[in-house]
Amino acid sequence: MSVALIVLLALFAVLAVMVARRGRGTAEDAAERALEQFAHVMPQLAVALLAAGFLAKLIPGELIAALMGPEAGWTGLIVGAVAGPIIPAGPVIAFSVAAVLERAGATPEALVAFVTSWSLFTLHRVITYELPMLGPSFLRLRLASVGLMPVAAGLIAAAIVRLLH
Amino acid sequence: MDEPARRTGGDHAPGEAPARGPEDPSGPGPGGPFWRDRRWWRAWVSAGFGPMFWIFLAIAALCGALVYVLEGEAAFRAALVEDGRMVVETVPRVVVAIAVAGMIWVLMPRERISALVGRSSGMAGLVLATIAGAITPGGPTSAFSLLAMLGALGADRGTMIAYIASWATLGMQRILIWDVPMMGPDFSLLRIASTLVLPVAAGLLARALPIRLDLKGEQRLRDRL
Repeated sequence: MSVALIVLLALFAVLAVMVARRGRGTAEDAAERALEQFAHVMPQLAVALLAAGFLAKLIPGELIAALMGPEAGWTGLIVGAVAGPIIPAGPVIAFSVAAVLERAGATPEALVAFVTSWSLFTLHRVITYELPMLGPSFLRLRLASVGLMPVAAGLIAAAIVRLLH
Repeated sequence: MDEPARRTGGDHAPGEAPARGPEDPSGPGPGGPFWRDRRWWRAWVSAGFGPMFWIFLAIAALCGALVYVLEGEAAFRAALVEDGRMVVETVPRVVVAIAVAGMIWVLMPRERISALVGRSSGMAGLVLATIAGAITPGGPTSAFSLLAMLGALGADRGTMIAYIASWATLGMQRILIWDVPMMGPDFSLLRIASTLVLPVAAGLLARALPIRLDLKGEQRLRDRL
Protein backbone atom coordinates (compact mmCIF):
# COMPACT_ATOMS: atom_id res chain seq x y z
CA MET A 1 0.00 0.00 0.00
CA SER A 2 1.36 3.40 -0.92
CA VAL A 3 1.95 6.30 1.45
CA ALA A 4 -0.65 8.34 -0.44
CA LEU A 5 -3.34 5.74 0.22
CA ILE A 6 -2.42 5.43 3.91
CA VAL A 7 -2.58 9.22 4.38
CA LEU A 8 -5.96 9.35 2.64
CA LEU A 9 -7.39 6.41 4.59
CA ALA A 10 -6.32 8.00 7.89
CA LEU A 11 -8.05 11.27 6.90
CA PHE A 12 -11.09 9.29 5.83
CA ALA A 13 -11.32 7.57 9.23
CA VAL A 14 -11.04 10.84 11.19
CA LEU A 15 -13.61 12.65 9.05
CA ALA A 16 -15.99 9.68 9.03
CA VAL A 17 -16.15 9.82 12.83
CA MET A 18 -16.80 13.59 12.71
CA VAL A 19 -19.54 13.18 10.11
CA ALA A 20 -21.15 10.28 11.96
CA ARG A 21 -21.37 12.39 15.12
CA ARG A 22 -23.31 15.06 13.19
CA GLY A 23 -26.08 12.57 12.54
CA ARG A 24 -27.73 10.74 9.70
CA GLY A 25 -28.63 13.76 7.54
CA THR A 26 -25.00 14.95 7.34
CA ALA A 27 -23.76 11.46 6.57
CA GLU A 28 -26.30 11.06 3.76
CA ASP A 29 -25.37 14.47 2.34
CA ALA A 30 -21.68 13.56 2.34
CA ALA A 31 -22.38 10.18 0.76
CA GLU A 32 -24.51 11.75 -1.98
CA ARG A 33 -21.80 14.29 -2.80
CA ALA A 34 -19.10 11.64 -2.88
CA LEU A 35 -21.16 9.33 -5.10
CA GLU A 36 -21.90 12.21 -7.48
CA GLN A 37 -18.20 12.88 -7.76
CA PHE A 38 -17.41 9.22 -8.40
CA ALA A 39 -19.75 9.37 -11.39
CA HIS A 40 -18.16 12.59 -12.66
CA VAL A 41 -14.57 11.53 -12.16
CA MET A 42 -13.98 7.77 -12.16
CA PRO A 43 -15.03 6.62 -15.67
CA GLN A 44 -13.31 9.63 -17.22
CA LEU A 45 -10.19 9.13 -15.14
CA ALA A 46 -9.88 5.46 -16.12
CA VAL A 47 -10.00 6.19 -19.87
CA ALA A 48 -7.88 9.35 -19.51
CA LEU A 49 -5.14 7.31 -17.83
CA LEU A 50 -5.41 4.76 -20.63
CA ALA A 51 -5.06 7.52 -23.25
CA ALA A 52 -2.20 9.16 -21.34
CA GLY A 53 -0.30 5.87 -21.16
CA PHE A 54 -0.53 5.33 -24.92
CA LEU A 55 0.33 8.97 -25.51
CA ALA A 56 3.47 8.52 -23.43
CA LYS A 57 4.59 5.81 -25.87
CA LEU A 58 3.97 8.12 -28.83
CA ILE A 59 5.68 11.24 -27.46
CA PRO A 60 9.42 10.67 -27.60
CA GLY A 61 10.78 10.66 -24.05
CA GLU A 62 13.92 12.47 -25.21
CA LEU A 63 11.78 15.44 -26.28
CA ILE A 64 10.14 15.80 -22.86
CA ALA A 65 13.48 15.26 -21.15
CA ALA A 66 15.09 17.94 -23.34
CA LEU A 67 12.27 20.43 -22.73
CA MET A 68 11.49 19.76 -19.06
CA GLY A 69 14.30 17.51 -17.84
CA PRO A 70 17.32 18.35 -15.67
CA GLU A 71 19.29 19.77 -18.63
CA ALA A 72 16.51 22.18 -19.60
CA GLY A 73 17.02 24.45 -16.57
CA TRP A 74 15.10 27.71 -16.90
CA THR A 75 13.54 26.54 -20.14
CA GLY A 76 11.84 23.70 -18.27
CA LEU A 77 10.08 26.14 -15.93
CA ILE A 78 8.93 28.30 -18.81
CA VAL A 79 7.78 25.31 -20.87
CA GLY A 80 5.82 24.07 -17.84
CA ALA A 81 4.30 27.51 -17.21
CA VAL A 82 3.26 27.93 -20.85
CA ALA A 83 1.95 24.38 -21.22
CA GLY A 84 -0.41 24.71 -18.20
CA PRO A 85 -3.15 26.95 -19.56
CA ILE A 86 -2.97 25.37 -23.01
CA ILE A 87 -4.64 22.35 -21.48
CA PRO A 88 -8.22 23.60 -21.55
CA ALA A 89 -9.63 20.82 -19.44
CA GLY A 90 -10.35 19.78 -15.91
CA PRO A 91 -8.01 18.06 -13.49
CA VAL A 92 -8.60 14.62 -15.02
CA ILE A 93 -6.60 15.51 -18.13
CA ALA A 94 -4.19 17.95 -16.50
CA PHE A 95 -3.01 15.49 -13.87
CA SER A 96 -2.88 12.57 -16.31
CA VAL A 97 -0.60 14.71 -18.46
CA ALA A 98 1.47 15.65 -15.41
CA ALA A 99 1.88 11.97 -14.54
CA VAL A 100 3.01 11.21 -18.10
CA LEU A 101 5.50 14.11 -18.03
CA GLU A 102 6.85 12.87 -14.72
CA ARG A 103 7.43 9.38 -16.11
CA ALA A 104 9.06 10.88 -19.20
CA GLY A 105 11.70 12.60 -17.08
CA ALA A 106 10.40 16.08 -16.31
CA THR A 107 11.96 17.65 -13.21
CA PRO A 108 9.83 18.29 -10.08
CA GLU A 109 10.29 22.06 -10.46
CA ALA A 110 9.07 22.01 -14.07
CA LEU A 111 6.06 19.96 -12.92
CA VAL A 112 5.36 22.44 -10.11
CA ALA A 113 5.40 25.25 -12.70
CA PHE A 114 3.09 23.21 -14.94
CA VAL A 115 0.51 22.31 -12.26
CA THR A 116 0.57 25.83 -10.76
CA SER A 117 0.10 27.41 -14.16
CA TRP A 118 -2.71 25.04 -15.13
CA SER A 119 -4.54 25.58 -11.85
CA LEU A 120 -4.28 29.38 -12.12
CA PHE A 121 -5.00 29.95 -15.77
CA THR A 122 -6.83 26.98 -17.27
CA LEU A 123 -8.87 28.52 -20.08
CA HIS A 124 -12.19 26.81 -19.55
CA ARG A 125 -12.45 28.13 -16.01
CA VAL A 126 -11.66 31.69 -17.12
CA ILE A 127 -14.34 31.51 -19.79
CA THR A 128 -16.99 29.70 -17.74
CA TYR A 129 -16.57 31.43 -14.39
CA GLU A 130 -14.22 34.39 -14.21
CA LEU A 131 -15.35 36.47 -17.17
CA PRO A 132 -19.11 36.05 -16.61
CA MET A 133 -18.99 36.46 -12.82
CA LEU A 134 -16.29 39.12 -12.33
CA GLY A 135 -15.62 40.69 -15.70
CA PRO A 136 -12.57 41.47 -17.85
CA SER A 137 -11.06 44.08 -15.53
CA PHE A 138 -10.67 41.47 -12.78
CA LEU A 139 -9.04 39.09 -15.24
CA ARG A 140 -6.57 41.84 -16.28
CA LEU A 141 -5.70 42.60 -12.67
CA ARG A 142 -5.29 38.90 -11.91
CA LEU A 143 -3.09 38.24 -14.95
CA ALA A 144 -0.86 41.16 -13.96
CA SER A 145 -0.52 40.15 -10.31
CA VAL A 146 -0.50 36.35 -10.64
CA GLY A 147 1.16 35.98 -14.05
CA LEU A 148 4.63 35.24 -12.71
CA MET A 149 3.46 32.88 -9.98
CA PRO A 150 4.07 29.60 -11.91
CA VAL A 151 7.70 30.48 -12.68
CA ALA A 152 8.19 31.80 -9.12
CA ALA A 153 6.76 28.56 -7.69
CA GLY A 154 9.06 26.58 -10.00
CA LEU A 155 12.11 28.54 -8.82
CA ILE A 156 11.21 28.05 -5.16
CA ALA A 157 10.65 24.35 -5.85
CA ALA A 158 14.08 24.13 -7.50
CA ALA A 159 15.64 25.81 -4.46
CA ILE A 160 13.87 23.41 -2.08
CA VAL A 161 14.94 20.37 -4.14
CA ARG A 162 18.57 21.55 -4.11
CA LEU A 163 18.40 22.25 -0.38
CA LEU A 164 17.19 18.71 0.31
CA HIS A 165 19.82 16.98 -1.83
CA MET B 1 -28.59 16.63 -8.71
CA ASP B 2 -28.37 19.46 -11.15
CA GLU B 3 -27.74 19.03 -14.86
CA PRO B 4 -25.29 16.15 -14.70
CA ALA B 5 -24.48 16.24 -18.41
CA ARG B 6 -23.46 19.88 -18.40
CA ARG B 7 -21.04 19.36 -15.56
CA THR B 8 -18.92 16.69 -17.13
CA GLY B 9 -15.48 17.63 -18.35
CA GLY B 10 -14.87 20.61 -16.15
CA ASP B 11 -13.27 20.87 -12.76
CA HIS B 12 -14.88 18.28 -10.63
CA ALA B 13 -15.31 18.70 -7.00
CA PRO B 14 -17.98 17.79 -4.51
CA GLY B 15 -20.48 20.41 -3.65
CA GLU B 16 -21.22 22.05 -6.96
CA ALA B 17 -24.91 21.71 -6.23
CA PRO B 18 -26.50 23.82 -3.52
CA ALA B 19 -26.70 22.07 -0.19
CA ARG B 20 -29.92 20.28 0.44
CA GLY B 21 -31.12 18.14 3.27
CA PRO B 22 -33.01 14.91 2.84
CA GLU B 23 -36.22 16.62 3.90
CA ASP B 24 -35.93 19.35 1.26
CA PRO B 25 -38.83 19.08 -1.25
CA SER B 26 -36.47 19.87 -4.15
CA GLY B 27 -34.41 16.84 -3.19
CA PRO B 28 -34.71 13.46 -4.86
CA GLY B 29 -38.00 11.65 -4.54
CA PRO B 30 -40.72 12.60 -2.08
CA GLY B 31 -39.81 11.51 1.41
CA GLY B 32 -36.96 9.12 0.65
CA PRO B 33 -33.20 9.34 0.80
CA PHE B 34 -31.46 9.86 -2.54
CA TRP B 35 -30.26 6.26 -2.77
CA ARG B 36 -33.82 4.95 -2.83
CA ASP B 37 -34.59 7.02 -5.93
CA ARG B 38 -34.15 5.21 -9.21
CA ARG B 39 -34.08 8.48 -11.15
CA TRP B 40 -31.05 9.55 -9.09
CA TRP B 41 -29.16 6.41 -10.09
CA ARG B 42 -30.13 6.83 -13.75
CA ALA B 43 -28.78 10.40 -13.64
CA TRP B 44 -25.70 8.99 -11.86
CA VAL B 45 -24.96 6.56 -14.68
CA SER B 46 -25.53 9.14 -17.41
CA ALA B 47 -23.26 11.59 -15.57
CA GLY B 48 -20.49 9.01 -15.45
CA PHE B 49 -20.76 8.06 -19.09
CA GLY B 50 -21.34 11.54 -20.49
CA PRO B 51 -19.79 13.06 -23.64
CA MET B 52 -16.37 13.57 -22.04
CA PHE B 53 -16.08 9.86 -21.23
CA TRP B 54 -16.69 8.93 -24.86
CA ILE B 55 -14.31 11.62 -26.10
CA PHE B 56 -11.54 10.33 -23.81
CA LEU B 57 -12.33 6.77 -24.83
CA ALA B 58 -12.06 7.74 -28.52
CA ILE B 59 -8.72 9.46 -27.85
CA ALA B 60 -7.49 6.39 -25.94
CA ALA B 61 -8.54 4.11 -28.81
CA LEU B 62 -6.87 6.39 -31.37
CA CYS B 63 -3.61 6.59 -29.40
CA GLY B 64 -3.73 2.85 -28.77
CA ALA B 65 -4.18 2.17 -32.49
CA LEU B 66 -1.29 4.53 -33.30
CA VAL B 67 0.97 2.74 -30.83
CA TYR B 68 -0.01 -0.61 -32.39
CA VAL B 69 0.69 0.60 -35.94
CA LEU B 70 3.84 2.64 -35.27
CA GLU B 71 5.53 0.66 -32.50
CA GLY B 72 4.21 -2.85 -33.03
CA GLU B 73 2.22 -5.33 -31.01
CA ALA B 74 4.80 -5.88 -28.26
CA ALA B 75 4.94 -2.16 -27.43
CA PHE B 76 1.14 -2.01 -27.48
CA ARG B 77 0.88 -4.87 -24.98
CA ALA B 78 3.55 -3.33 -22.76
CA ALA B 79 1.70 0.00 -22.79
CA LEU B 80 -1.57 -1.74 -21.97
CA VAL B 81 -0.05 -3.58 -19.00
CA GLU B 82 1.52 -0.35 -17.73
CA ASP B 83 -1.78 1.50 -18.18
CA GLY B 84 -3.60 -1.22 -16.26
CA ARG B 85 -1.09 -0.94 -13.42
CA MET B 86 -1.48 2.84 -13.35
CA VAL B 87 -5.29 2.58 -13.22
CA VAL B 88 -5.18 -0.04 -10.46
CA GLU B 89 -2.75 2.12 -8.48
CA THR B 90 -4.52 5.44 -8.94
CA VAL B 91 -8.21 4.60 -8.81
CA PRO B 92 -8.38 3.43 -5.16
CA ARG B 93 -6.56 6.59 -4.02
CA VAL B 94 -8.90 8.85 -5.95
CA VAL B 95 -11.95 6.96 -4.61
CA VAL B 96 -10.86 7.54 -0.99
CA ALA B 97 -9.87 11.14 -1.77
CA ILE B 98 -13.31 11.88 -3.20
CA ALA B 99 -15.01 10.45 -0.13
CA VAL B 100 -12.76 12.64 2.05
CA ALA B 101 -13.62 15.74 0.00
CA GLY B 102 -17.36 14.99 0.28
CA MET B 103 -17.09 14.87 4.06
CA ILE B 104 -15.02 18.07 4.21
CA TRP B 105 -17.75 19.80 2.22
CA VAL B 106 -20.46 18.98 4.73
CA LEU B 107 -18.27 19.83 7.75
CA MET B 108 -16.96 23.24 6.57
CA PRO B 109 -18.79 26.44 7.63
CA ARG B 110 -18.71 28.29 4.30
CA GLU B 111 -20.78 31.34 5.27
CA ARG B 112 -18.53 32.10 8.22
CA ILE B 113 -15.43 31.89 6.02
CA SER B 114 -16.69 34.53 3.57
CA ALA B 115 -17.91 36.85 6.33
CA LEU B 116 -14.55 36.70 8.11
CA VAL B 117 -12.51 37.39 4.95
CA GLY B 118 -14.86 40.13 3.71
CA ARG B 119 -14.42 42.11 6.93
CA SER B 120 -10.66 41.91 7.24
CA SER B 121 -7.99 44.11 5.62
CA GLY B 122 -4.26 44.83 5.54
CA MET B 123 -1.71 42.06 5.80
CA ALA B 124 -4.03 40.04 8.03
CA GLY B 125 -6.64 40.22 5.28
CA LEU B 126 -4.24 38.71 2.75
CA VAL B 127 -3.22 35.90 5.10
CA LEU B 128 -6.84 35.17 5.99
CA ALA B 129 -7.80 35.20 2.30
CA THR B 130 -5.02 32.71 1.58
CA ILE B 131 -6.22 30.38 4.34
CA ALA B 132 -9.84 30.75 3.24
CA GLY B 133 -8.91 29.97 -0.36
CA ALA B 134 -7.04 26.85 0.69
CA ILE B 135 -9.91 25.47 2.77
CA THR B 136 -12.86 26.45 0.55
CA PRO B 137 -14.45 23.14 -0.35
CA GLY B 138 -16.00 22.54 -3.74
CA GLY B 139 -15.03 23.31 -7.29
CA PRO B 140 -14.98 26.57 -9.26
CA THR B 141 -18.69 27.19 -8.80
CA SER B 142 -18.38 27.59 -5.05
CA ALA B 143 -15.00 29.39 -5.18
CA PHE B 144 -16.07 31.95 -7.78
CA SER B 145 -19.41 32.63 -6.09
CA LEU B 146 -17.54 33.17 -2.82
CA LEU B 147 -15.17 35.51 -4.70
CA ALA B 148 -18.04 37.49 -6.21
CA MET B 149 -19.59 37.64 -2.74
CA LEU B 150 -16.30 39.03 -1.35
CA GLY B 151 -16.36 41.71 -4.04
CA ALA B 152 -19.93 42.62 -3.18
CA LEU B 153 -19.03 42.75 0.52
CA GLY B 154 -16.41 45.38 -0.35
CA ALA B 155 -13.28 43.28 0.14
CA ASP B 156 -10.24 44.99 -1.39
CA ARG B 157 -8.63 43.85 -4.65
CA GLY B 158 -5.60 42.34 -2.93
CA THR B 159 -7.81 40.16 -0.76
CA MET B 160 -9.77 38.97 -3.79
CA ILE B 161 -6.64 38.15 -5.80
CA ALA B 162 -5.02 36.38 -2.84
CA TYR B 163 -8.19 34.38 -2.23
CA ILE B 164 -8.63 33.08 -5.77
CA ALA B 165 -4.90 32.50 -6.30
CA SER B 166 -4.80 30.50 -3.09
CA TRP B 167 -7.91 28.51 -3.99
CA ALA B 168 -6.39 27.64 -7.39
CA THR B 169 -2.93 26.66 -6.19
CA LEU B 170 -3.30 25.62 -2.55
CA GLY B 171 -6.91 24.40 -2.58
CA MET B 172 -6.88 21.52 -0.14
CA GLN B 173 -9.52 19.69 -2.06
CA ARG B 174 -7.58 19.67 -5.35
CA ILE B 175 -4.43 18.61 -3.50
CA LEU B 176 -6.32 15.75 -1.83
CA ILE B 177 -8.19 14.50 -4.88
CA TRP B 178 -5.54 15.09 -7.55
CA ASP B 179 -2.03 15.87 -6.30
CA VAL B 180 -1.78 13.19 -3.63
CA PRO B 181 -3.26 10.25 -5.58
CA MET B 182 -1.74 11.08 -8.97
CA MET B 183 1.64 12.62 -8.10
CA GLY B 184 2.32 11.31 -4.59
CA PRO B 185 2.71 13.00 -1.18
CA ASP B 186 6.31 14.15 -1.86
CA PHE B 187 5.33 16.16 -4.90
CA SER B 188 2.25 17.53 -3.11
CA LEU B 189 4.36 18.79 -0.21
CA LEU B 190 6.91 20.31 -2.60
CA ARG B 191 4.16 22.10 -4.48
CA ILE B 192 2.53 23.40 -1.28
CA ALA B 193 5.88 24.63 0.07
CA SER B 194 6.77 26.34 -3.22
CA THR B 195 3.42 28.12 -3.50
CA LEU B 196 2.68 28.94 0.15
CA VAL B 197 3.70 32.62 0.23
CA LEU B 198 2.81 33.46 -3.36
CA PRO B 199 -0.91 34.32 -2.94
CA VAL B 200 0.01 36.96 -0.34
CA ALA B 201 2.70 38.33 -2.70
CA ALA B 202 0.16 38.42 -5.54
CA GLY B 203 -2.30 40.27 -3.27
CA LEU B 204 0.34 42.89 -2.38
CA LEU B 205 1.17 43.27 -6.07
CA ALA B 206 -2.52 43.62 -6.96
CA ARG B 207 -2.88 46.45 -4.42
CA ALA B 208 0.08 48.28 -5.98
CA LEU B 209 -0.85 47.85 -9.63
CA PRO B 210 -2.53 50.80 -11.38
CA ILE B 211 -5.28 48.77 -13.02
CA ARG B 212 -8.88 49.95 -12.88
CA LEU B 213 -11.18 47.34 -11.48
CA ASP B 214 -14.88 47.43 -12.40
CA LEU B 215 -16.46 44.34 -10.96
CA LYS B 216 -19.36 42.99 -12.85
CA GLY B 217 -22.58 43.41 -10.94
CA GLU B 218 -25.46 41.01 -10.97
CA GLN B 219 -26.48 40.23 -14.53
CA ARG B 220 -30.08 40.99 -15.34
CA LEU B 221 -31.72 39.98 -18.59
CA ARG B 222 -33.17 43.44 -19.09
CA ASP B 223 -29.66 44.96 -19.10
CA ARG B 224 -28.85 43.04 -22.24
CA LEU B 225 -31.84 44.42 -24.20
